Amino acid sequence: MVVLRLTRQRLLPSPACVLLALSLLVGHLGCHPAPPEDKSLRLVFKHPRLLSHEEPLQALLNQFRAAHPALQLDEEILPSSSDQQHLFYVTNLEAGATDFDVFALDVIWIPEFARAGWLQDVTAMLGSAELTDSIPGPVTAATHAGRIYAIPWFLDGGVLYYRRDLLDKYGLTLPHTWSEVRTAIQVVLQHEANPRLTGFVWQGKQYEGLVCVALEFLRAYGGDVFTDQGEVQLTQPTAVAGLQALRSLIADHLSPTVVTTADEEIAQHIFGRGEAIFMRNWPYAWRLLNAQDSPVRGRIGVTAIPGSNAHVGVPTLGGWHLGINRLSRQPELAWQFVAFLTSAESQRQLAIASGLQPTHLSVYADPQVQQADPSLLLFFPLLQRAQPRPVTPFYLMLSQVLQSEFSAAITGLKSAEVALQDAERQMTRILALEQKETTRALTTGD
Amino acid sequence: MHSRQVTEHPVLFILPALGLMLLVALYPLAATSWLSLRDEFPIFHISRFVGLSHYVTLWHDPRFWQSLTNTGYFAVVSVASEVLLGLGAALLLHQLFPARGLVRALVLMPWFIPTVVAARAWEWIYHPHIGVLNFLLLQSGLTTTEINWLGHPFLALHAAIIADVWKTMPFATLLLLAGLQTIPSDLYRAARVDGATGLQAFWHITLPWLIPVLSVTVVFRMLDALRVFDIVYVLTGGGPANTTETLSIYAYRLSFQTLEFGYGAALAVVTFVIILFASLLLQFLLRRVGTTT
Repeated sequence: MVVLRLTRQRLLPSPACVLLALSLLVGHLGCHPAPPEDKSLRLVFKHPRLLSHEEPLQALLNQFRAAHPALQLDEEILPSSSDQQHLFYVTNLEAGATDFDVFALDVIWIPEFARAGWLQDVTAMLGSAELTDSIPGPVTAATHAGRIYAIPWFLDGGVLYYRRDLLDKYGLTLPHTWSEVRTAIQVVLQHEANPRLTGFVWQGKQYEGLVCVALEFLRAYGGDVFTDQGEVQLTQPTAVAGLQALRSLIADHLSPTVVTTADEEIAQHIFGRGEAIFMRNWPYAWRLLNAQDSPVRGRIGVTAIPGSNAHVGVPTLGGWHLGINRLSRQPELAWQFVAFLTSAESQRQLAIASGLQPTHLSVYADPQVQQADPSLLLFFPLLQRAQPRPVTPFYLMLSQVLQSEFSAAITGLKSAEVALQDAERQMTRILALEQKETTRALTTGD
Repeated sequence: MHSRQVTEHPVLFILPALGLMLLVALYPLAATSWLSLRDEFPIFHISRFVGLSHYVTLWHDPRFWQSLTNTGYFAVVSVASEVLLGLGAALLLHQLFPARGLVRALVLMPWFIPTVVAARAWEWIYHPHIGVLNFLLLQSGLTTTEINWLGHPFLALHAAIIADVWKTMPFATLLLLAGLQTIPSDLYRAARVDGATGLQAFWHITLPWLIPVLSVTVVFRMLDALRVFDIVYVLTGGGPANTTETLSIYAYRLSFQTLEFGYGAALAVVTFVIILFASLLLQFLLRRVGTTT
C-alpha cells in the first residue's frame, strides 16, 4: 500500500499534455515515416518541451534527417514536471537504458549524472574555437572533475525588470545595487497614489526558484555557498548580509508578503498588471509583458541583477544542455547530432524563431538576429556574468536544505544567521557522504 | 430465510482474494521493508545492506519529527472537523424537504472533483493578490491588508486543512446519512410519546445508533488524512520552511527528488506502522465508546 501510494505519479492533466498525447497518437497512426531498411541506425532524442511552439525545432530535426537519409531520428517527449524528468532519467540511466541516445539536461543535473557515469565525456567537442565563442557560465556548469559532460544548448539567467515610466517620472537612474533599488522603491511608493502598487516582486516560494534569487543576494554581498576549495561558507558575514538584505525587503514592506509564495508566474502576474515597480525574473517574461494586451507594454525595461557597493551583481544561471548517453549504440551519430543542434547556426535559427538565448557569442553579433528580435541583444549583456548554482553531484540534496532554510529566513521563522547555520550543518553532513564514499572506493579499489 | 451451508471448500473460495492481497499489498510492503534496510543511492552506485541504520538516522532527523507533527495536527483537526460538519450536514439532509434528492447530490460535488483539481482551485481562492477569499475579506472590511494564506507559517497548514475539509466532508456526510437511515423511526415515535425533546432523542437514540458508522467514518478518514499528499503538495509544496511538509511529502522528496531510495523506504515503512497503530487504537477506543453507550 505504501509503495503503491508512492509510485503513483501525479501529473497535472493540462490541455497541452492532452494535445501532445493526441498529436503523438496521430503521428503514430498516420504520417509516421516508414522506418529505413537498416534498423540499427536509429537515434532517439529525449527532451521535455522547452519551446513555446514546436516548428523551429522540427525544422532543425528535419535538416539533420535530410543530411542523414539512412538514419531514423526519433524524438521522445518527457512530461513537463522537472521532478519527473529527473526521475525518468535517473531510473532509466541507472538501469542501463540504451533506448535513447541524446537528451536535454537542466543545468543543475549535469554534475550528478556525470558523477554517476551516465554521460559521455564531450570535452573534445568543445575545441578552442567553440570555447572562445561560448559564454563561460554554461561551460563551468557542465564541468565535473575537469572534464565537460554536456554541451550548452541555450542560456537562461536572472534579470531585473523595472517600470521605466515610474523611474523616469521621479528622475531615478537605473539601480546598480540593491540599496539603490530600495531607495527607488521608497521614492516611488511615497509619491504614487495607487494603493495596490508594491515595490519589488520575486520568487520566494519554497522551491528551486527561491534558491536562484537568494543566491543572487548572497553573491551581491560577496557571499556564496562554497569557497573555491569547495568548503561550505554559508555562515560568513557576507552570506548573512545577503540573506538579511532579502529578508529586510519583506520586513520593510518594500516587497509584498505575497512573494513568500510567489513563483515566476505569480511575480509576472503582479508586475504585468502594473502593480510592482521591480521584478526579478527570467528573460522569457519579456515577450509576455510586451504582448499586445499587456497593461505594461512599452512601459518597462530590463537591467542586470544588481550588486552592492563592493561587489558586482551575479545573475543565477539557468538553461539547458545536451548530453549523450554513455551507453548509446550510436555514439558517432549522437555526437554529430549534438554538435549540429548546439551549433551557432542552429542556435541562430532557434533564437530567431522562439526567442531562446543562444550560448554562442557569435550569434548575438549576427545582424539577422539583431533584426529579427532586438530583445535577444537586450539580454545578452545582462546574462554574460551569470554563474551556475553550486556545481556538485549533490546539488539536488543541497537544494532541498537551502530551499527550506531560505524559506525560514524570508518568512521570519528564523534569523538569517540561524537559518544559514542550520543549512551549513546539514550540508556538511551531506558532503561527508561524498568523502566517505571516496575513501570506500579507494580502499576497496572499486 | 434459509441458506444452504457451504463447508466443503471454504479455502478455495478465499484463495483468489488472498492471492490478490498478497500481490498488491503484502508484496510491495515486504519489498519496501527490505529496501529500507539497504542503502540504494544510484548516483553513487551505492547498493548495500545497512540494517536498521536508516531508522536510527530517522530518529535523529528533525525534519522527520516536524513532518510527523504536521501530519498529526493535520489529521486530527481535519478529521474532527469533517466528521462534526458531516454529521451536521447528514442530520439536515435526513429531514424531509422539497428537492432533497437534488440537494443530496449537490452536497457530494466536492467529493467528485479530483483532489489535484480541487487543490488548484483552492490555490486560486487563497491567492493573496487576486484570490476571491481576500477579495471578500477586503470588501466586507474584515481586513484591510491582503492576507498571504499559503505563505504564512501558521496559516498555511490551516489553509490546507480547510481545503481538505471542504473536499472530504461529503464523504463523511454520505456514510453518516446512510447510518441515519438505518435507525428505526419507531424509536423516535416512542421517544416523542415519552415526551423526549429533540436533543434528548439525538443523545439517546441517534448517537448510540450511529456509533458503528461513526467509527468506520473516523477510521477511514484518519487513514486517508495520515497519508495526505496531493492537496498539500499542490497548495504549498510543503512550504513555507517545511511547515506544511507531511510524512508523505517528505517520503516523496526523499525517494523521487533526492533519490535516497533506502532512506525514503524507511520513512514509508515508519509511516505505514504509524497509520496501522493509529487505526488499531482508534478502533479500540471507538468500540469502547460503543459498548459504554
